Amino acid sequence: MNQKSEETRDRKKFGYQIARSVAVVSGIFMLIFSILVLANYFQTKTTDPLNSPALETLMGQMEERPDDQALKEQIRALDLLARKAYFTTQWQIRTGGYLIFGSFIVFIVSLRIMGHMKSKLPVVGEKPVNVWESAGLTRKRMAITGFSMAIISILIVILSHSELEEIQFRIDEVMDEAGLTDSAYPNDEILRQNWPGFRGPYGTGIASFDNVPTEWDGPSGQNVLWKTEIPLHGMNSPIRWDNRLFVSGADETRRQVYCYDTDTSEMLWQRDVLDVPGSTDEIPEVSYDTGYAAPTMTTDGERVFAIFANGDLVCFDFEGNQIWAISLGIPQNIYGYSSSLIIYQNRLIVLFDQETGGYLYAFNTQSGRMEWQTSRENMMTWASPICVNTGNRFEIIINANPAVASYDPSTGRVLWSIEGMTVDAAPSVAYADGWAYAVNEYAFLWAIKLEDPPQIGWENIDYLSEISSPVANEKFLFVATSYGDLICFDAKTGDRYWVESFDHGFYSSPILVQDKVYVMDYEGVMQICYADVEYRPISHLELGEASFCIPAFDDNRIFIRGDTHLYCIGHEDE
Amino acid sequence: MISDLIRHDQITRKWTVVLLLSILVCSIPTQIHSQIQRFPKPEFESGHVVPTPTTPHPRQDIYEYIDVAVLIIALSTASYLALKKRSRNGIFMLSLFSLLYFGSWRKGCVCAIGSIQNISLALFDRTYVIPITVIAFFTIPLLFTLFFGRTFCAAVCPLGAIQDVVILKPVKVAAWLQKVLGFIPHIYLGLAVLLAAYGADFIICRYDPFVGLFRFDASFLMLLFGAVLLIGGIFVARPYCRFLCPYGLILNWISRLSKHHVTITPTDCIQCRLCEDSCPFGAILPPTPEKAPEARSVEHKRLAILLALLPVLIIGGACLGSLLHTPLSQIHNTVQLAERVRLEELGKIQDTVIESETFQQSGKPVEQLYGEAALIKNRFIKGSTYLGGFIGLVFGTTLIGLSIRRKRRDYTPDRGTCLSCGRCFAYCPVGKKESKEDEK
Repeated sequence: MNQKSEETRDRKKFGYQIARSVAVVSGIFMLIFSILVLANYFQTKTTDPLNSPALETLMGQMEERPDDQALKEQIRALDLLARKAYFTTQWQIRTGGYLIFGSFIVFIVSLRIMGHMKSKLPVVGEKPVNVWESAGLTRKRMAITGFSMAIISILIVILSHSELEEIQFRIDEVMDEAGLTDSAYPNDEILRQNWPGFRGPYGTGIASFDNVPTEWDGPSGQNVLWKTEIPLHGMNSPIRWDNRLFVSGADETRRQVYCYDTDTSEMLWQRDVLDVPGSTDEIPEVSYDTGYAAPTMTTDGERVFAIFANGDLVCFDFEGNQIWAISLGIPQNIYGYSSSLIIYQNRLIVLFDQETGGYLYAFNTQSGRMEWQTSRENMMTWASPICVNTGNRFEIIINANPAVASYDPSTGRVLWSIEGMTVDAAPSVAYADGWAYAVNEYAFLWAIKLEDPPQIGWENIDYLSEISSPVANEKFLFVATSYGDLICFDAKTGDRYWVESFDHGFYSSPILVQDKVYVMDYEGVMQICYADVEYRPISHLELGEASFCIPAFDDNRIFIRGDTHLYCIGHEDE
Repeated sequence: MISDLIRHDQITRKWTVVLLLSILVCSIPTQIHSQIQRFPKPEFESGHVVPTPTTPHPRQDIYEYIDVAVLIIALSTASYLALKKRSRNGIFMLSLFSLLYFGSWRKGCVCAIGSIQNISLALFDRTYVIPITVIAFFTIPLLFTLFFGRTFCAAVCPLGAIQDVVILKPVKVAAWLQKVLGFIPHIYLGLAVLLAAYGADFIICRYDPFVGLFRFDASFLMLLFGAVLLIGGIFVARPYCRFLCPYGLILNWISRLSKHHVTITPTDCIQCRLCEDSCPFGAILPPTPEKAPEARSVEHKRLAILLALLPVLIIGGACLGSLLHTPLSQIHNTVQLAERVRLEELGKIQDTVIESETFQQSGKPVEQLYGEAALIKNRFIKGSTYLGGFIGLVFGTTLIGLSIRRKRRDYTPDRGTCLSCGRCFAYCPVGKKESKEDEK
């Protein structure tokens, strides 16, 4: 037993000595290389091989004697030498680094082996640490540390300096003008109190208003608070911000924007769109169904924006002053351009799809400067973008042939795309509760679950809309077709709850107002029913003229654009 | 002048030769290689064709999920080895595996420590999409810590592993100094969250001292920083984990609530005191003396004063923090650029830098740049106020924690600072005896 123990001890002793020798050698190796690499590094830092005084002197001589071949050769030789010296140094540092690291590993392993071969017994002190005394000392030192930190912080504050502080007053003005303050972007609550664009806030067709009228009669004037003629025709829908209502109109040569007082019907201002840089007199080819002013305007609460069939994009302030305008050129579009505008923060999003070379643009709402543009490889589109918060980000979602795609509104980057959609895309996307719904007649109705990556949760090919955009909430999806059917689906499963057929088709889109669905047929009859698992009609209300637009909503009131007139519907008794 | 350069070249060569001769084993291959490097063929008329740039394919998602799976397996194994098996050797071997996998193979990314910044950015910037694997790397170690203590630090974190390997001659850091230095991670965490949330910088990644070693690629100063920490780590165990790591701080908080935790002894402490100095991290709490050093009334009075002082410290810290918003906001690139452009505009700086030149060429109005910078600065007022308040809170609660008398009979690991490395297991005679009996 003793002999075995002695052998083990001897083996350990031998191993310890070997490990110690290796540790010493590798330690010295590491030390020498560290010193050399450090020296080399600092030498490199102080040497600029391309701008050495010698080279500059020779270059100066070269200007005096440009034909001196010997001098040229001398410069080349010097240049080559300097570069070689530089790169050799770099190589030395890199190789030295590897060698240091390798030797460090050997050094550590050797020391660990040494420790293993000669383990020490634990040493027990005379008496255990008195934790309370230690806590008292720590408390005092902590207090000193805290005080020192405070002093250092104050010194940093005193010593720090910003040139921008001297122009802070100017910055505040600029920020307000540029809309860069957080408060400059209307928040969700403000957006929902207004009707800022096509299909309301975010373009989803959801209205959050109470006491919206469910009874009126246009021909007899029941509950029609006011009615006024619109100077120029347009297929665009009214938008509202506080007590201002905006619509646009156009014909072959004129393009106009109108602002009305929602309370009195007074036209506050009417402006021709003039002086648009890059605009031509060329008349775009459009169908009657589309016209020259199909895209719905949008507003950020301070400015309104309109775009027309010839690609003229314009911004007015609320007083009717033209702030900026640009021409995007006449789009190649067989029926006429119809995609509506939408805003994300200070970016005006413009979908400008055409036969070839379409783009999605974002313009700065204050200056009109282009923030980003993303090319789109798809067919012509008549749908409008929506811009929704899908959980942890905002997305611009667009229905098109051949892909339903999503874009980052800050950068224009494509977030996802699902290909397979076909034919002409006119209905815009509906969105609710993490699901997006895209539909095209003679193609598909897709319910896309916005997971990572998004997937088609269910699809339907029986009831498809041609122009009207669907609308959804957490439970239901409503689709209105151009042949007069209104269909209610289960939003998550695609089960069809009911189909109701009407005399006339729908070009306008259904809007969800609390628990009710409002949808106007193209003869101007508003069909109102409950959003429920069974069809429960509320009323069928005539406007008295055809209507293709989507109403703008408010508490107690609806604003409807007919073929030639603008209506305010409310409660006469109130 | 040419002769100067030639002389310099000769000196360099001479030193290299001296060095290479002194290390005989390495000298032959190195010298041959060196000569090839020193005298490359001239390439002035080599007909060299510039290669077409290629975009590397992104790493496939499946590998990221494999990383998460490896993380879960490693954490499970570490917890088993620490709590059930009580095997220091097993923990050490697992930490070597983690060093090779998460460090050398995965190049230190994605890592739980850096994920703090992704989480912060995702919380404050709705447009930022955080990958699911990053969320997993952030949350899974926290969940394991909640159940088993800091087993992540013991054997899974590659930054911890590389430092653990070099602990050779650990010296005991005085308790007060350890507490004072332990304050740094609070500041680092606060700063990292603030700067990430406002899109200024990911400082945890930028100043990761070991990622350069994992990748063999970093700035000289970062490599030097890593080397200093490693060499220092021979004597002061795991300096980064204890006095810098912001994720370790979060684990420290959670570990205090952990359902299970490693113990020094598997059964009852016999007060042999053998484990007293076994922990190189100073994470073993000794028993408290029977006799209190002060009267109860004195202690109560001090505690009352500190409790009353806590709101003052928070408010004072918040005020001080808000005053620091200017230097803090200047870490943000946009603010830096705006300051630079303003200095050039005022003529206080004559030359330009590439950033200001690029800005001037972009055609962007300078007012807009100033506006954006001002917006960022305004955000920093709020952020730095919260940061200051947080520091004040931590400072106050630390002082209060030091003033509460807690009685302990046995030697126990400090649940917050104990890294569950298992070094103390071997020092406990009770544990050793049980191990021998188990073996029998």
